[in-house]
Amino acid sequence: MPASIRRHLMLLVFASIALVWGIALLSSFRHATHEVEEWEDARLAEFAQTLTLLDQNDLTVLSKTHIDARDEYSRAGSNGADDDDDKLPRDMLFQVRDAHGRILASSPDLMPLGAWDPPSELPPQSQGGAHTITLGGRVAGQPAGQPPAGQPPAGQPIKQPWHTYTLYDGASGRTVRVLEPANTRSDLATGAARRISEPIAFALPILALLVWVSIGHSFRPLRLLSKVIHAREINQLEPIDMGRSPSEVRPLIDAINHLLSRLRQSIVRERTFTADAAHELKTPLAAIKVQAQVALAAQDTLQQRLAMERVVQGVDRSARLAEQLLLLARLDEHDRMPGSVLALDGLARDVIAANEEQAQRRGIGIALVGDARFEIVAEPVLVNILLDNLIDNALKYCDSGDRVEVEIRRNNVRAAQTVVLTVRDNGPGVGIEEQRRLTDRFFRGTGTSSTGSGLGLSIVARIVEYFGASLSFGAGIEGRGLAVEIAFPCSASD
Amino acid sequence: MRILLVEDDDLIGLGVEAGLRQAGFAVDWARDGRAANLALTTTTYALVVLDLGLPKMPGIELLKWLRSCGKDVPVLVLSARGTVADRVGGLECGADDYLGKPFDLTELIARCRALLRRSQGRSAEVIRYRDLTVDPAARTALRCDVRVQLTAREWAVLVQLLTHQGVPQSRSRLEESLYGWQEEIESNAVEVHVSNLRKKLGTDLIRTVRGIGYVVEKA
Repeated sequence: MPASIRRHLMLLVFASIALVWGIALLSSFRHATHEVEEWEDARLAEFAQTLTLLDQNDLTVLSKTHIDARDEYSRAGSNGADDDDDKLPRDMLFQVRDAHGRILASSPDLMPLGAWDPPSELPPQSQGGAHTITLGGRVAGQPAGQPPAGQPPAGQPIKQPWHTYTLYDGASGRTVRVLEPANTRSDLATGAARRISEPIAFALPILALLVWVSIGHSFRPLRLLSKVIHAREINQLEPIDMGRSPSEVRPLIDAINHLLSRLRQSIVRERTFTADAAHELKTPLAAIKVQAQVALAAQDTLQQRLAMERVVQGVDRSARLAEQLLLLARLDEHDRMPGSVLALDGLARDVIAANEEQAQRRGIGIALVGDARFEIVAEPVLVNILLDNLIDNALKYCDSGDRVEVEIRRNNVRAAQTVVLTVRDNGPGVGIEEQRRLTDRFFRGTGTSSTGSGLGLSIVARIVEYFGASLSFGAGIEGRGLAVEIAFPCSASD
Repeated sequence: MRILLVEDDDLIGLGVEAGLRQAGFAVDWARDGRAANLALTTTTYALVVLDLGLPKMPGIELLKWLRSCGKDVPVLVLSARGTVADRVGGLECGADDYLGKPFDLTELIARCRALLRRSQGRSAEVIRYRDLTVDPAARTALRCDVRVQLTAREWAVLVQLLTHQGVPQSRSRLEESLYGWQEEIESNAVEVHVSNLRKKLGTDLIRTVRGIGYVVEKA
């Protein structure tokens, strides 16, 4: 079963209600029990008071009488509940002694209970008071006939709490002890508890229903939101507008809208890229077609041959473009790749060597400045592509007699060490305005007749992003040309 | 017939240039907007083939400038952006025709011919003048249904004069229609071609206008 906030809330609400209800019940039950005890103690005290005043004859008569101290008599016609001790007869026992400790009168039942003598811890002269003691058994003959359920048959001594009240009367010198079996199952207490619990018990199902419905109602904005999202078409990416929504749902809507807007931007980028890519692929295709048609229509073999060579050039160009597009697409797929520690200077030397022939042919000087060893953490294939693009780019835009420098150095900026790779030239350079657009896909510098795809620096920028490096442009050698600077974060071992 | 080709892509430029030459046009090739601008201010062209994606000065800017200074030379636009909106945008900026890349070279040449024909106020490709029937597309000239062989230069002078009937063409104007930038202009070439044409097609076809040049009178 999936987790449900509604169920969870229901559970919490009901657990809380049950807890509070239980505490209220318990405390009211205890309170009522206490009240009953106090009331019975007061009655004992009253009775003891009376005993101090009675004369010997009355005391003797009284000692032979059953004094029934039940709390409640069954009303006519109503059957007393079996579990209500209030309605059971309870014998009140007493013992009166004079100032010398002689017994003036005593209920005979005190003897079998083992309560003939006052408890030793109670000094006879003391003011006495109310106590609860446990005595071994119920008075003989009580309860007559049917013993209450759960109790052993009559006659057998059973332990049971008794309330006792001891009063010392200074005027008559009498010490009066009054005993009464404790009313352990008073209806007064349970009744009070029941009166409190019953309405709640009845209210509970209604409460449950109300809570269930209100929680459900509170979740309406969420249901509405999911309906709105559900009803959306795949290309419907405008922000969700739900008018006024609760503050709990607002962050969710905001987060979804934020995601939608990023998705929208990414799709726009994707579409632009696809359109641009198609556009860029059309140009070499057009060239190939035109040249092929020139070759077909050419009268002399020399012209035909020339045109066919250009067809091959065009195909090479399309292939390179396709390769670059694929590389960009692959780079876009991943966020970051794990790298390994590699020597940047060594890689730079390799790439320079690979481009040496092209540079010499075009009369451009190319060199690595410095010979220290620099290590970075990166992916070697990507670093190779990056270096190749940078150097190829520099060579492409330079004229005969220009030169290209590759420099690697360490740089400390605010405690963070970086390894900075710079490729600079003294070629025609790029205006500040255009520098910002250099990494745009398919952007080509305006002052050029070079036949690049305009993807080289986009690829560089993407790779730089990969390694968490940074890319910047500036003036090249002696303030002329262009310098491309890439700052790699240092490897941990440096 | 001299055409200005404005195209930044080397391979396409070379191909179109070769194709147009094969079709008998004199071609000047400008690789960017500024060079094209300069060419258009100094030379009279029969037609401009313009690529829109140009460095230095976008093709559409060049087109707007061309129309704003009142030049009504026909312009055929080439572009890789072939959506309807792109075509409409190009045409509304003053282009006469639009061709998306990749295009067919034969179609490009046919469209160039059609634009030239229309700019000369002709509806048919074939020019009939007295007993002459001249077909610029097929490059055939018939005199009284007899085919006359003409060299490429003679052909260019004849078409230039026939398409501007009644308007005297100066020697330099005729030279312009004969040679592209790279070609050496031979001295007295125009006189030689005119005298050859007179020999082949009749002395009364081309009249010399003293101090100005040559004219083919209105039929």
